[in-house]
Amino acid sequence: MSYLRIENMEIAFRTPKGNFVAVKDINLEIEKGQIVSIIGHSGCGKSTIMNAIAGMTFPTHGKVTVNGKDVKGPGPDRGIVFQNYSLLPWLTVYQNIYQAVDAALKGLSRDEKHELVEKNLQMVNLWEHREKYPNQISGGMKQRVAIARAFAIDPDVLLLDEPFGALDALTKASLHIELLKLWNLTQRSKTIVMVTHDIEEAIFLSDRIVVMNNGPASTIREIEEVHLSRPRNKKDTVNQPEYLAIRERLLGLLMDKVSIDEKDFYKEEAAA
Amino acid sequence: MKRTITLTSSIQTEVAPKVAADNRILPALTRFAANLTGLVYSLFGFMLLIAFWYFISRITEGGLPTPLSTFVVFWELVKDPFYDYGPNDKGIALQLGSSLSRVFLGFLLGSLFAIPVGLLMGANAFCRKVFYPVVQILKPVSPLAWFPIGLVAFESASMATIFIIFITSLWPTLINTSFGVASIPNDHKNVAKAFGFSKWKYLTKVLLPFSLPHIITGLRLSIGVAWLVIVAGEMLSGGMGIGFFVWDSWNALSLEKVISAILIIGLVGLLLDRGFSFLEKKFTYSI
Repeated sequence: MSYLRIENMEIAFRTPKGNFVAVKDINLEIEKGQIVSIIGHSGCGKSTIMNAIAGMTFPTHGKVTVNGKDVKGPGPDRGIVFQNYSLLPWLTVYQNIYQAVDAALKGLSRDEKHELVEKNLQMVNLWEHREKYPNQISGGMKQRVAIARAFAIDPDVLLLDEPFGALDALTKASLHIELLKLWNLTQRSKTIVMVTHDIEEAIFLSDRIVVMNNGPASTIREIEEVHLSRPRNKKDTVNQPEYLAIRERLLGLLMDKVSIDEKDFYKEEAAA
Repeated sequence: MKRTITLTSSIQTEVAPKVAADNRILPALTRFAANLTGLVYSLFGFMLLIAFWYFISRITEGGLPTPLSTFVVFWELVKDPFYDYGPNDKGIALQLGSSLSRVFLGFLLGSLFAIPVGLLMGANAFCRKVFYPVVQILKPVSPLAWFPIGLVAFESASMATIFIIFITSLWPTLINTSFGVASIPNDHKNVAKAFGFSKWKYLTKVLLPFSLPHIITGLRLSIGVAWLVIVAGEMLSGGMGIGFFVWDSWNALSLEKVISAILIIGLVGLLLDRGFSFLEKKFTYSI
């Protein structure tokens, strides 16, 4: 029995134009401690699947189970890092994490909560910036706060919804490393599900990559296994033959026409 | 090599404090210059107004008092603002005080009603659908139309004045509050959902902080309306207050006093607005 299971899931939304099926026939099993990426073009229902695991949207058919229990709503066993950081702008970095910890972990004492916040802020190297407000820090730092917030409630599953989409390439690369470090610090016990449209990011981080078909009513097209050894690092990993082979396959799956047809050029020229 | 490093660092330590000092003085200077030019512009505007006023008073041959004669009367009024020679002859500060206390009482009651109802309408689609049409019908009603109802309900002109301030000043706060609450971004709501915020935590950490700037903008508009309404209200109710003073001066055929009162009403209105825009800035978070 897998740790995270999605069985025969279909999610449809009611719109003024009628029923809109976002995803259907989704079957996915994820083992504990795995990192899985869901990749696909915009509007292929990646985030919809993510929201179903988070418990923010509900399947119209089928079900999602985490650790043998049906997902009935959001819970502290699943931490979410949102697409656009989603920090509360009127709270300091510290308070943003503290309020989440305070809400999610009701059993802890005040001191234990403060300790947790400090530990997690130290982990992402933002302890010195704890009194700053979100608008006073950079995009990369905001995303680290969001990651620290998700880690602070010590969830078994970490859901990342295009977490690095808005960042520049260098910040992105260093945050990849940071994410893997955090994952190692927790003995690789956390299951991570990540939505992305970045092929390199998906290969570098994941154990498995779920490739989606285009919507509407998109389905899983293929699941790619990534057997690159860990720990991975940017310089060596990206030059391994297996990395390049997977990259090639994913490019082929996601872009039916990888090359530009030269004939079009000559045709236009002839017409002119 | 080593020497060059020490050299540059020593230069830096020498230069750095100077730069820091400049950084503190320069913005202060530019701010002062900006304020000064602003003042010059507004003085120019007032000079144009006074010139126009003088021109009109010349054309009407005394129908409109000249700026100078008005200023003499204005000075008489503000020189001794606190005198009290019986019910029909009180200093301008006492009149103003009485108006302001009515305005604040009506405004306070209006806000106490408008903020909770606005929060409810913003947060709950059912309440919004039920009450919004009512709000739209009652909002555009002239304050004076409410006066008879106030008189019947409270049997006192003074209470009726407070009532019309209450009922006309609550709408901007109500509408702004409900708009603020209704426009909380999904991102913020999702955070609350994902981390399991309690109702109380959602109210105090998401809903109120987000809506506060909107609420204060509403309050600012409301106090402006209240100040507009008080003059009209006191003209009807009589007895005391700046509105009564205007009406009384008109009956005594002193246009100088009327114009002085207009100036004072304008100034107080400006101060009220500035006070609330200060609060607005204070409670606005930047994104």
